[in-house]
Amino acid sequence: MNVANNGKQSKLKRTLNKLLHARELTSIIFLVLMFAVVGIINSNFLSVSNLTLSLNSSVVYTIVAIGIALVIITGEIDVSVGATLGMAASISATMVRDGSPTWLAFSAAILVGALIGLINGIGVSILKVPSIIMTLGVNSIVRGLIYVYTDGKWVENLPFDFKTISQSKLPGTGITLIYFSVIVIAIIVHLFLNRTQRGKYFAAVGDNEGGATLLGIPVNATRLSAYVICGVFSAIGGVLYASRVGFVTPISGNGYEMKVIAACVLGGVSMAGGVGTVIGASIGSLIMASISRVLVFIGLSSDYDNTITGCLLIIIVVFDAVMQRRNAVTARHERLRARTGNVNLGGIK
Amino acid sequence: MKRNIKKLIFRWEFALALILLLEIIVFGRLNPRFLKPRVLFGSINDFVSICIISLFVTFVLITGGMDIQAGSIVGLTSISIGVLWNDFGVNIWVACILGLLIGALSGAFSGFLIAFTDVQPMVVTLGGSFLYSGLAMVVSNLSEVEAYKGISGFPQAFLAITKGRINGIIPFQFLMFVALSFLAYFLLHRTKYGRKIFLCGVNRKAAEYCGIHTRKVVMSTYMLSGMSAALAGIILTSYLGTAKTDLGKELTMPIITAVVLGGTSNLGGKGTILGTALASLVIGILRFGLSMSGVNTQYLDIPVGALLIVSVAIRSVSSNDRLVSFIKHRFKRSYQKT
Amino acid sequence: MVISNPAHSEKPTVSARSIHKSFGSNEVLKGIDIDLYPGEVLALVGGNGAGKSTLMKILMGIYQADSGRLFVDGVETKINKPSIALANGIYLVPQEPMLFPNMSVEENIIIGFNENKAELRNRLKDTIQTLGWELDLKRKALTLSIAEQQLVEILRGLMRKSKLLIFDEPTSSLTFNEVEALFTMINLLRQQGLSIIYITHRLNEVFQIADRVVIMSDGLITLNAPVEEVNHEILVRGLLPTNIEYQENKICSIDINRECKPIFEVNQLTGYGFSNISFKVYPGEILGIAGIVGAGRTELVTSIFGKDDIINGKVILDGEDITGLSTHEVMSKGLSYVPEDRFLNGMFRISSVAENTTASSVDSLGHIALNKKREKEITNYFIDTFRTRVTGCEQEMGSLSGGNQQKVVIGRSIATKPKLLILDEPTRGIDAAARADVYAIINKLRQDGMAILIISSDMEEIVELSDRVLTMYSGQIVAEFNREDVNHDSLMAAAFGIVGGKV
Repeated sequence: MNVANNGKQSKLKRTLNKLLHARELTSIIFLVLMFAVVGIINSNFLSVSNLTLSLNSSVVYTIVAIGIALVIITGEIDVSVGATLGMAASISATMVRDGSPTWLAFSAAILVGALIGLINGIGVSILKVPSIIMTLGVNSIVRGLIYVYTDGKWVENLPFDFKTISQSKLPGTGITLIYFSVIVIAIIVHLFLNRTQRGKYFAAVGDNEGGATLLGIPVNATRLSAYVICGVFSAIGGVLYASRVGFVTPISGNGYEMKVIAACVLGGVSMAGGVGTVIGASIGSLIMASISRVLVFIGLSSDYDNTITGCLLIIIVVFDAVMQRRNAVTARHERLRARTGNVNLGGIK
Repeated sequence: MKRNIKKLIFRWEFALALILLLEIIVFGRLNPRFLKPRVLFGSINDFVSICIISLFVTFVLITGGMDIQAGSIVGLTSISIGVLWNDFGVNIWVACILGLLIGALSGAFSGFLIAFTDVQPMVVTLGGSFLYSGLAMVVSNLSEVEAYKGISGFPQAFLAITKGRINGIIPFQFLMFVALSFLAYFLLHRTKYGRKIFLCGVNRKAAEYCGIHTRKVVMSTYMLSGMSAALAGIILTSYLGTAKTDLGKELTMPIITAVVLGGTSNLGGKGTILGTALASLVIGILRFGLSMSGVNTQYLDIPVGALLIVSVAIRSVSSNDRLVSFIKHRFKRSYQKT
Repeated sequence: MVISNPAHSEKPTVSARSIHKSFGSNEVLKGIDIDLYPGEVLALVGGNGAGKSTLMKILMGIYQADSGRLFVDGVETKINKPSIALANGIYLVPQEPMLFPNMSVEENIIIGFNENKAELRNRLKDTIQTLGWELDLKRKALTLSIAEQQLVEILRGLMRKSKLLIFDEPTSSLTFNEVEALFTMINLLRQQGLSIIYITHRLNEVFQIADRVVIMSDGLITLNAPVEEVNHEILVRGLLPTNIEYQENKICSIDINRECKPIFEVNQLTGYGFSNISFKVYPGEILGIAGIVGAGRTELVTSIFGKDDIINGKVILDGEDITGLSTHEVMSKGLSYVPEDRFLNGMFRISSVAENTTASSVDSLGHIALNKKREKEITNYFIDTFRTRVTGCEQEMGSLSGGNQQKVVIGRSIATKPKLLILDEPTRGIDAAARADVYAIINKLRQDGMAILIISSDMEEIVELSDRVLTMYSGQIVAEFNREDVNHDSLMAAAFGIVGGKV
């Protein structure tokens, strides 16, 4: 048995220890390394303006990744986030183009996102449809509905005010207001998940669903809320996308789900559930968004974008799995070795 | 005899066959041209890739795995064949064989990682989908032809394999699909290998305790799926007459849909080739029939998605005792009130 | 049926009346009436399939009874889900720990509470101190041993200040000291007025800790009496279904020819969980390995079977060195192993009986194509020989009773015609009738000349079946007995590491 830790280690040391072992550390190290290497090859990359540009360009990935991370932490998946993003982008863009105030368009988009999330959540939690199937189906349906809504046409000529929302900077820095807000949201969600009782339910459900039920944790409600939040955040991402890009096509957001899932994995969120943070997802989003830009700076064409992303994903995930397996086996062996050998064969009558 | 008939009717494959029949009848009413054999059978040209690949992705899902990289392998194979033939002067048939090899290797790479480490299949094949589509771009850059144009001008013999029809009605692709279905059926349901696949899927640990080489078995399923994607890539290239890097890009979702609609559980241990084959036909005919009836092509995924959700939901609800009794209870109460 | 009414002046904390529960056509609870009183420890004993787990899950809101009523403090209560049970002060400490592997011990214990975190932490520390346990609150749950996980589960129950605490086989993975500490704590809780249900297979514990004992058999309560009014024999008799003749020890003592070569030999074998193990097994002999959980027996045989590395030593089967070979190779050399946990590692639940029977010998069923006719022959052979109760070869394995499942698994293991058969807890989770059948099967195999190694925590089983017995403790062999020498007490003592002299 282990010696009880009666707070002998100072709180600072404990926090430090926790940070060192955090999965997110690997992601941060990777990010820093990547930037450093590119910076060595091409020093222009490390300019402040370029670095802030990298941050700003990852804003849509980040907000969507936060939402999907919530779902993944509860042990499920959502491959309809790209479609939700596209639908939200289409709706908000159409509304502002036709004269609605921005806040109204934003609210409408959020509502739609919440609705899609609710449908996903009901299918998975209550009807017990496996999440990959439910969200796959919803993805197909929403994708088709986007065509119905936009009549297959592009949504262009968006008002100037709407487009500048994504440009306005935080005073004194080059970081956009929206990116800053998204980071604030990430921190709030992170604190919610890690510090509040309700928040811990998410990881609990993903870690051991049976155990969570036994403790009276509302598994279905938790999963449902994860999907609704994911829908809402994807919708926010859609509005931001429309504002940044300036126009929306019927295939906007196609393939986003894969990119943000990759972002989460790169950020230390495990697909098995129960592990990972939205901070990690944000870091992963930064990595994903930076890859194509990085390639430009080191002189590779963007054709290599996918290859690099794929290799990275595979390397990180395999490395992580192998390390975990190693640790589990070592821990088990240590336990077993400790068990043997304390035999007093003298005998007690 | 009566019991056997009853057993037959309640099988999922029977329901699928009924749906298929229903589709043919309904679309035939809406547009009589639909029922012309030449048209009906000819429709498979549009979706044969989905049919072929889903047959073998079934193998992967039965072991409890997941494969979302097949679409990328289609494009990789296509462009590789194009580049080999166009820029390296390789004989087209040899290029096809090399293409199959590429498909096998791609599947083997991911399969090896999945089988021999504890990674999640979804994530590895996600990475694979990026990797192989990326490699397709790299291969394309080896060619003098620009990527967006694609490589064309293939020999007539190559193009002919997808153009011919038996009696002018049944396309060669249909025969290929039927032949592959039989092959897949035999492999999965009638061989020792297929039995091992099921056992690995039902309980991996127990299969190991039975001395089965679970890792080799799992890895092999990904190789099969990769090869089927390569084959689909060859067929598509021949049919379209062009080798392009993004062939098959949109196939992943329909493939998984077909496999799951066919009755395969994504948890493993359950599934049939007949189910997958019928489901892929159901999806294909649905899309074709709708488009023939004037529905805009872009809207076609809506009914497919709806069909997927509804069918799985019904299966899931009917096997969930608690939900069934809840529904019955509610129904009884409202009925009693009137 | 022995039911003596308790002379209780108080009202029961929790009561159940006429509880019926069926799963499909299988009636598991056939009308249960039970009262749990404050300050009383009730031992609940019964074979598998008796319905104990189901009844507990109904109390906990995980299942709902088909008919019957539940009362908490005299008030009728509908317990539809666990949160209602928890709110009513009922907590089940599960047999298999259900922790959150990626959370710390502390998070695992205090999750789900609405109180102030600092207060909870202090209360937790006090509780642990009172118990005299040592537990690092910051460790991640996945690094804990099964015993430590069980402690965490128990702490969860304690922290909830429940009125009714249910312990489902709590000592199955605990060491001696931990068990003592648990009993101390249960006594403390009893004094504080809690009701406690204590489910166990270990009859000795009943006499140590319980005030009252209830025996469940086949969905009904067959005995409900204060513990002073019963003894070991009454309990054992109450556990057997009434229509089974209790088979006396009918093992024919065949004189094993020790002169002939051993078919299996282990020399100074050291691995993870065991060290310096040496023994021989002769054809036609049953060697039993006794010990408590954690002694290293399963680790020993699974390492031999290729599931973990061997550090030192040799394993020889029929003259051939099989040390360190993979599972597949070991099996092809003629060694078969029936795993300990049937549900997890032993069977293919949604596959048919035929598929299960041939799972180890798939390669022998033809060249490329599967010879289904041969498969049917093999399956029917085992169904007939073992008298397995199935509706046919195609019946789904999961719908068989535990005993019949085990018969199929054993059949599968001998379909490969092994030279040595290793059985790990062969009758765990099986009712008495099937157990007798399995013993008969094992003996027949022995008579036919197979060498058999049996691992069991059931002392009576070891005594009944073995020609020779080894006892392991802390990964080493501490005692060896011949059939004539072996008796329950000396075995038990050796299993706990106490060796020296005959008792």
